[in-house]
Amino acid sequence: MVMVGMVLSTAPAYAQHASDDREAGKGHWSLQPVKQPSIPVTKPARSNPIDAFVQAALAVKGMTLSRAAQPATLIRRLYLVMLGVPPSPEEVAAFVADQAPDAFERLVDAVLADSRYGERWARHWLDVVRFAESDGFETNHQRPNAWRYRDYVINAFNADKPYDLFVREQLAGDALGADVATGFLVAGQVDIVGSPDPVLTAQQRADQLDDIVATTGSAFLGLTVGCARCHSHKFDPIQQREYYALTAVFAGVRHGERDLPMPPEQAAELARVDASLAVLDQHLAPFAVPAPDSPPAGMTQRPAVEFARNEEQFAPVVAKIVRMTIFATSKGEPCIDELEVWAGDRNVALASNGATATVSSTLPGYDIHKPEHIHDGLVGNQYSWISNEVGGGWLQLEFAQPERIDRIVWARDRNSVVRDRLAVSYRIEAAVRANQWQVIASSAARTAFAGAIQSHAAPTYRFDAAQPSEGATSRLEQGRALLSERRTLERERADLMQSPRAYAGTFTQPGPVHLLRRGDPMQPAEQVAPGTLALFRPIEFRNDAPEQQRRLQLANWIVDADHPLTARVLVNRIWQHQFGIGIVSTPSDFGGNGAPPSHPELLDWLAQEFVANGWSIKALQRLILTSATWRQASTPLDSALRIDGGNRLLWRFAPRRLAAEAIRDCMLAVSGELNQAAGGPSFALHDIGSEYVRHYRPKEEFGPDESRRMIYALKVRTEPDVVFTAFDCPDGSLTMPQRGLSTTPLQSLNLWNSKFILQQASAMALRLVREAGDEHAATVVRAWQLVYQRAPTLDERDDAVALVQSHGLPALCRALLNSNEFLFLP
Amino acid sequence: MILPQSDNSFLPRRRFLVDTGMGLGAIALRSLQGPQGPKSPIRPTIDPGHPYAPRPPHAVPRAKNVVVIFCSGAVSQLDTFDYKPELIRRHGQALPGHDNLVTFQGKQGALTKSPWAFRQRGQSGKWTSDLMPHLGAVADKLCFVHSMRGTTNTHGPGENFMSTGSALDGFPSMGAWATYALGSVDQDLPAYVAIPDPRGKPQSSANNWSPGFLPAAFQGTDFNATNPIRNLARPAGITAANDAKSREFLQRLNRRHAQGFEGDTELAARIASHELAARMQLAVPEVADLSNEPEHILKLYGAVTDGSKTGDVRAAYARNCILARRLVERGVRFVQLFNGSYQTGGEGVSNWDGHKDLYNQYSRHGQVLDQPTAGLLRDLEQRGLLADTLVVWCTEFGRMPTFQVGAQGRDHNPNGFTCWLAGAGVKHGYSHGATDEFGYEAIEDVVTVHDFHATILHLLGLDHLRLTYYHNGLERRLTDVAGEVVRGVLA
Repeated sequence: MVMVGMVLSTAPAYAQHASDDREAGKGHWSLQPVKQPSIPVTKPARSNPIDAFVQAALAVKGMTLSRAAQPATLIRRLYLVMLGVPPSPEEVAAFVADQAPDAFERLVDAVLADSRYGERWARHWLDVVRFAESDGFETNHQRPNAWRYRDYVINAFNADKPYDLFVREQLAGDALGADVATGFLVAGQVDIVGSPDPVLTAQQRADQLDDIVATTGSAFLGLTVGCARCHSHKFDPIQQREYYALTAVFAGVRHGERDLPMPPEQAAELARVDASLAVLDQHLAPFAVPAPDSPPAGMTQRPAVEFARNEEQFAPVVAKIVRMTIFATSKGEPCIDELEVWAGDRNVALASNGATATVSSTLPGYDIHKPEHIHDGLVGNQYSWISNEVGGGWLQLEFAQPERIDRIVWARDRNSVVRDRLAVSYRIEAAVRANQWQVIASSAARTAFAGAIQSHAAPTYRFDAAQPSEGATSRLEQGRALLSERRTLERERADLMQSPRAYAGTFTQPGPVHLLRRGDPMQPAEQVAPGTLALFRPIEFRNDAPEQQRRLQLANWIVDADHPLTARVLVNRIWQHQFGIGIVSTPSDFGGNGAPPSHPELLDWLAQEFVANGWSIKALQRLILTSATWRQASTPLDSALRIDGGNRLLWRFAPRRLAAEAIRDCMLAVSGELNQAAGGPSFALHDIGSEYVRHYRPKEEFGPDESRRMIYALKVRTEPDVVFTAFDCPDGSLTMPQRGLSTTPLQSLNLWNSKFILQQASAMALRLVREAGDEHAATVVRAWQLVYQRAPTLDERDDAVALVQSHGLPALCRALLNSNEFLFLP
Repeated sequence: MILPQSDNSFLPRRRFLVDTGMGLGAIALRSLQGPQGPKSPIRPTIDPGHPYAPRPPHAVPRAKNVVVIFCSGAVSQLDTFDYKPELIRRHGQALPGHDNLVTFQGKQGALTKSPWAFRQRGQSGKWTSDLMPHLGAVADKLCFVHSMRGTTNTHGPGENFMSTGSALDGFPSMGAWATYALGSVDQDLPAYVAIPDPRGKPQSSANNWSPGFLPAAFQGTDFNATNPIRNLARPAGITAANDAKSREFLQRLNRRHAQGFEGDTELAARIASHELAARMQLAVPEVADLSNEPEHILKLYGAVTDGSKTGDVRAAYARNCILARRLVERGVRFVQLFNGSYQTGGEGVSNWDGHKDLYNQYSRHGQVLDQPTAGLLRDLEQRGLLADTLVVWCTEFGRMPTFQVGAQGRDHNPNGFTCWLAGAGVKHGYSHGATDEFGYEAIEDVVTVHDFHATILHLLGLDHLRLTYYHNGLERRLTDVAGEVVRGVLA
């Protein structure tokens, strides 16, 4: 009997004894110092210590390592495991022909230096840290600048950033010149639905902090710290109080966008543009008319206007009249669904509260678009007002009596159905009496609307002199030229002002943190000072320790060279992704509920070697890749299968299905469509609506942007990709230290019938003809080399040629891209 | 991945017979107890070549199949099934003991009686409102739970909680757990089907039928009577002959390749999955084709529109109800049928989120839900399917007995709400638990969402304490660390 999926098959034994004993689990193997085991002496002698440890364990069972895999198999395996894409036929031929004894070592070095390595290995880390690019829950807004953390991880792997620094930067990068790295802290889901309900708000905040604490414990320490939220841990020596000490470490962290420091070259360029603009403005001053739309002082940049809901907040002001003047729309005459003016908890704009509405004009002939609908309390397009002026118009509301107002909410269509006529440039003013207007809100304080606009606004400069004369004409021409230059510079400035932003931690000094009885935010108990876990040289900070120091100290504690968990956990993760299963099969649980190591001495030897080599992940991987253990053939042996069917003793390299991203990337690589553009904003697999509650509709057409590697696809929580999610691709809602390896009929249907696969099959067919001509036998050979890195057997070739003759080359490509040999690591 | 034979720590302590071929009642329950006593976890053993093979339950089940009818947006208990004479009497007064109560959207106004009258129905004399007369007429078949209590008052987390037992995204849904535990009787259809509302997806979208951290094999497959399974049909532009020949060629490729890997069952499982997929390509269009449903059945469900917009939606939802029955008929283990959607309008427009304009919105939603749902119950019963099928009607949470300040509707309220059960293993014409005199808070025989889930698993013959899956250091359950079977509702 066999099980589906790695996750099932690697589940540990059921926990033996739950305990509330404070000493529970203190003697557990993973909490003991890392040992320096002696390397076993084996026959035959093994030069790579990894092989010595593995061979010694095999020998106990009377087994031995398998022979080495064939060179063509080896290079395919190496590329797929380390880069996530197959080698080209030319790379295979060169390696197979290379008879030098260090040919494989050199190949390993080349692969570790390849920038595609970071793109492959970052994926594993992003799974562990539950990274996604949307908030999750019902609103599920995308995070357009979250990709910077993804790029940070890719670059960290490519640069072989020492792991201790990698950890420190993710927890406290703002103190180390690596702000983007703190994207780790806030990579998780967050419920942004705001409510005046204090219980809900407290629960949401407690959940955010729990997400950070639990992920920190599981990613870096392999501990299920989150269990101690409600009670002291049952299997590990973690008291509930310690959980809240960690909560206090992170209590100043919030989700959000973070301005990144402007690169010096950009700042210098900006200064140059500003100087030029100042000169131009002096020359243009005589032509200027008063600007209709200057932002009120003290307003900060806010999000662009949306169709479904826009909120304007301002310091309370007493007003009897409010007017909104519109200068431009996304298209056509502006439409206002409902305009609410709030005085505390009262919408004073409502007709039922005595307010009256006047407007500049009304689009004739529509009962559903009338001025009274602006403030009737009913929402939706059918209860809205539209002006009769393309790109402009105004509306005015007069209240029954002066009101102290502090908030305005307006929209195009609250129901998010109709998406046009949005006011994108506007000004809202308030007055007690007419002619005492003060601006209270304006589009100038918002990010520019992304789409096209239709403008109604008056020009800023006027060149239509009343009485043209000869001198005046040339002066006007000069003025127009200056204006044109100014516009160019303004565009340049707008680009330069885009100081890079990242979705990363934002930090403030927190107040006191309390232990919460049963994890309930409405039941706070005693105050808890920030601190580390007690299981290794505990540090407790002062109650008022500076926020950043808390995180930095925790990070330093985690990467202490003597910490029993940190190196073991990371070494095991690397091992898992190179062999398919870790030495500890529960990679994020090294506690009492986790599985014991299959090779404890090897794990410790690797861990101390890793720290001794300056926490270099590439050095560790090189050691593993060049071992005979990793280079074994994958051929099953009856005798060995009977003793160790799960290959825990590593008598062969066990084949396994590629993960979702690798399947997609490999298809694009083989079809020749792979767009290797690295880094930068993500491409979307969905068309995304802009409603408050985001809607994601799967794309059906795939262009060059969608042909980038899948790590660059916008990762959206709870919205599956219609082809590859079925291949156990997690959505980043929860940490996923180990992918499942399901086999399902939906996978078959998705790979067999989806547009994406058919498109790749067609592209591959064109590529084959391009590269091998239109003689069938030659195209078939080329196909085999591209897909499997080997030549077809005669049987295979004849079979394939027959299919091509009867149903064309795309039919062959479709089948090859669906075949097991393509989808499995050799 | 082959099960490790040598390392005891990777073996489940208790293995099941797989595919016993016996009737459910005849399954031997011997030696179900793990070595550590009767409450040790039970992880079902899955054959990757047959992930949907039937697997035995922990105890003799009362229900073979489950149909969950999930109302998105949070249905008001006070306008449907929870009759509160005191609310009618004290209409316009303040909710006693809750001065300045602030709920999800803000301040609360006065107690407000339902705009629909309540009257007694059937033999049981159950009081239900005039909003849904068809469901009122089948009240004798229903087992109401009036004392539901949740923990969250936000839609996304609320849907997650009812569907997965966790307010967060990313946990396995009820149907995924049931399919993981029990497999399916039918091998040509997905074991677990989610039927989205004709108006679009619910608020938490696919998280409602997510496999979470369970293997992807146990995810709900979503399709309805209008939109087929994506990637199911042979693509346009590929002839039947091309498709068949290419598939045969693929299977030859895979068999040749497998010759080098005797004993590697994952390769064999993939070969089997292609065959399963091919059968599904035939079976799913057949089950989704309602063209042979007779006139009287269409009428029973209200599947014929009167041409109005509401009539169109009702007819489309009714067709989803007929699809649900057809799936159950063919042995699909778990069907999740959605009513209401956020995609085409939140805040009560396309769902039950009646904050501002409850009367007009619920008038439409009631029409959509009422007759088709009642028709489904009657049809399941007349075909004898209700004896083996548990029907669960649920929602995210309840609503306030007060109207919101400045609005004509009710705010969110997780403190008390109503769900109902019907069919296999549960009492009928029965009401369990109660809210207070205004319907604000569950006070009698309180049923948490975990209790509700424990009860559903119990009816499927599963012990919620023992059905576990190891993920990231924890032996996870549908019911987290809580839940008690609600004995009072069991027949």
